Amino acid sequence: MNIKKIAHSKIFTLLILLAIVIATFTILSNGAFLQPRNIRNIFQATVVVSLLTIGAGMLMISGQIDLSLGGIGTMCAMMAAFLMRSGLPWHLSMLAALVLGAICGAFNAVLVNEFNFQSFIATLATASIAQGFMAVISQGRQIDISDRTFNFIGGARFWDDLIPFSLIISLVLLVLYGIMLKNTKFGRSIYLVGGNADASRLAGLRPKRISYLLFMNAGALAALAGMLLAGRMMTSNTVGITNAQFQGLTAAILGGIAFGGGSGGMGGAMIGILILSTFNNGMTMINVPMHWQSVASGLVLLSALTADFLSSRKRTSA
Amino acid sequence: MSKSFPGVKALDNVSFRADGGRVLALMGENGAGKSTLLKILAGDYFADEGEFLLNGILQNFTSPYSAIMAGISVVYQERQMIPALSVMENIFAGALPKNKLGLIDKPRLKKETMALINKFELSIDPSVPVGSLSVAHQQMVEIMKAYRRGSAVIAFDEPTASLAEEEITVLFKLIEALKKEGKIVIYVSHRMPEIFELSDDIVVLKDGALVTTFITSETTVDELITSMVGRDIGDTYENLSRNTEVGETLLEIKNLVTHDVHNIDFSLKRGEIIGFAGLIGAGRTELVRAIFGANEITSGEIIFEGQKIDFKSPFDAIKAGFALCPEDRKEEGLVLYRSITDNVSIPVLSKIRKALILDRKAEAKLASTAVEKYAVKTPGIDKLVVELSGGNQQKVILGRWTNELMNTKLLILDEPTKGIDVGAKAEIYQTICDFAKQGIGVIFISSELTEVIGVADRIYVMRNGRITGCVDRSDATEEGILSLAMADKDETGGDAQ
Repeated sequence: MNIKKIAHSKIFTLLILLAIVIATFTILSNGAFLQPRNIRNIFQATVVVSLLTIGAGMLMISGQIDLSLGGIGTMCAMMAAFLMRSGLPWHLSMLAALVLGAICGAFNAVLVNEFNFQSFIATLATASIAQGFMAVISQGRQIDISDRTFNFIGGARFWDDLIPFSLIISLVLLVLYGIMLKNTKFGRSIYLVGGNADASRLAGLRPKRISYLLFMNAGALAALAGMLLAGRMMTSNTVGITNAQFQGLTAAILGGIAFGGGSGGMGGAMIGILILSTFNNGMTMINVPMHWQSVASGLVLLSALTADFLSSRKRTSA
Repeated sequence: MSKSFPGVKALDNVSFRADGGRVLALMGENGAGKSTLLKILAGDYFADEGEFLLNGILQNFTSPYSAIMAGISVVYQERQMIPALSVMENIFAGALPKNKLGLIDKPRLKKETMALINKFELSIDPSVPVGSLSVAHQQMVEIMKAYRRGSAVIAFDEPTASLAEEEITVLFKLIEALKKEGKIVIYVSHRMPEIFELSDDIVVLKDGALVTTFITSETTVDELITSMVGRDIGDTYENLSRNTEVGETLLEIKNLVTHDVHNIDFSLKRGEIIGFAGLIGAGRTELVRAIFGANEITSGEIIFEGQKIDFKSPFDAIKAGFALCPEDRKEEGLVLYRSITDNVSIPVLSKIRKALILDRKAEAKLASTAVEKYAVKTPGIDKLVVELSGGNQQKVILGRWTNELMNTKLLILDEPTKGIDVGAKAEIYQTICDFAKQGIGVIFISSELTEVIGVADRIYVMRNGRITGCVDRSDATEEGILSLAMADKDETGGDAQ
């Protein structure tokens, strides 16, 4: 790959953007931003978002969107906490929660593939249903978790307290899914279906099957994200990872996964996640009030969408 | 007037005149250029060359809106209305009467709509949503809308295709009324009896060029058909190197019924090319999609290599050795924003894996072989297919189905030469014959009569979802096939279902 090609690539643009964000906040915070502990906090914040981005991002590449992941992840974490409180061992509880996440994903897939609902609206309904069940399981209160293994998986940190175990999990998954997307038949099929579902089907792929697998995968990853957060907090609360879903979508779009499907990848998404969590952390560091942070996050999503729109317009007019 | 698309000349120096108070019928086979002409009139397309004068004034449309403003209305087969809005709102869309408060003046709107409805002696309730009306009534609303705009030219694109006989009578009365008002009526239809009942003048197009113009009262059905068929079958076909050894029966279809086709029976042998002729909408595409597992089958049997098969999806069909090159290359054939390589390898991805990981070298070899074999004009196999011409895109699809890892036994080609220039067409004909030589059974759908007759060993003709005849190449004439493909007088009413 020559230098010109690298300079024109999306990844390169994203890296520059990341550098700008880091430099800006380092200056504004008088260097406090680059303290090792703060860097750890930035990384810690990427864990939940990464897992949601993998699931949601692959669905977006295939041309669909999932807005239920926050709701599903929170409910599944609550389910795991509930099961452990009822005496089930941590591994069975986690497995049950993962399966529940996949079932919720399958439910989304049924709505989209069998009833032909728009995934946008169908998953919104699923989110509401999941939230309702979550409240039923928890009776509206948080459930504290005393299982040490469960809390270790979500909260342990190594190497001078700097590297969270959950970060390792999410990084490994990001890399594995990245390899899968670029180098396997399944990964390629996701791009082809996202590019043109009809043509892919007539050429021998099975878009419906792929859609089911992707929704179930996203649901299970959301359940994992919810549990990692609950383990770190040693409690499962009713807010859970609901807010991270928004960030997951923003990161995916920011990282170059187009809304219409067919393009983008995990490398870009990974940088998208870093930019976003650096940005959020930076705002806290320079004491931007909470509510204004929310306004800023919205603006980031809008600018990511604008960039997506501009690049797709360029693509279709070319 | 002339108009070219990449690779084809859709209209070539066509000139004619239409007079007020007369109905002009536009005739020609599929692909003759009628639709292109209508779209230029409607401001959808812009002519490359030529002029369009209305009442002696040169028109220069920049958009469909400017065509409407100039007084042109085209009533298409697919209605162009807003189904949820009422009849009166649709008729007056863009010119709704307002009261003093700036709100829509409903009483006046209703009154003016009723006046129109009464004028045309129709019985339509002006306040019901257009979506709840029958197709025929929707069409009437469309015509009233065109009339309300004060259009001087009203063009109809196969208006009777989905109407019952009584409805057609009403439509014709309406057209007579428009004629009396001095409007120019342009009428596109494939139905001979209608043309002779309704039109005053006939313009015949063929391959984008003007063949001749008739005054309806001075011509006959035979003369008209001959002029539509036009030129002789050329050398292209005589020079084809054909397969001479036909094998045992490969495919047998017995009494197949789907939502779109009825009681289909035919068979295909190894190394044989069978053609499917018919008008657009005759059910040919739907039939092959059903055979390919892409459309649902209601009843009937498909027997392949002596065994009854039941495909749940194209995936199963491809596994059995079927391949389909769909009619709409861009929508159904290719993933446009992926490379040639990616498009060629789709059906064999599982065969080019090493321990689950795709083998890029094997994949690249597959693609370069296909590019060489069909002489695809491209700088490289990484080129996105969207950047290729229509003919080269078609070659990529052929390359996909005939790459060395495929075991294609039955190849279905749905309008493979659509939108492709003459030179590339000849190459594709020879390619089709080469497939037959390899023992592949070929189903070749085409709306161009000359090419079906020239390439296929046997031609099945379809009309309204049924096979209406089968002719061998040696006996086939364009006139014969055209008459099997077109509706006769006594069947016009039967089209309504």
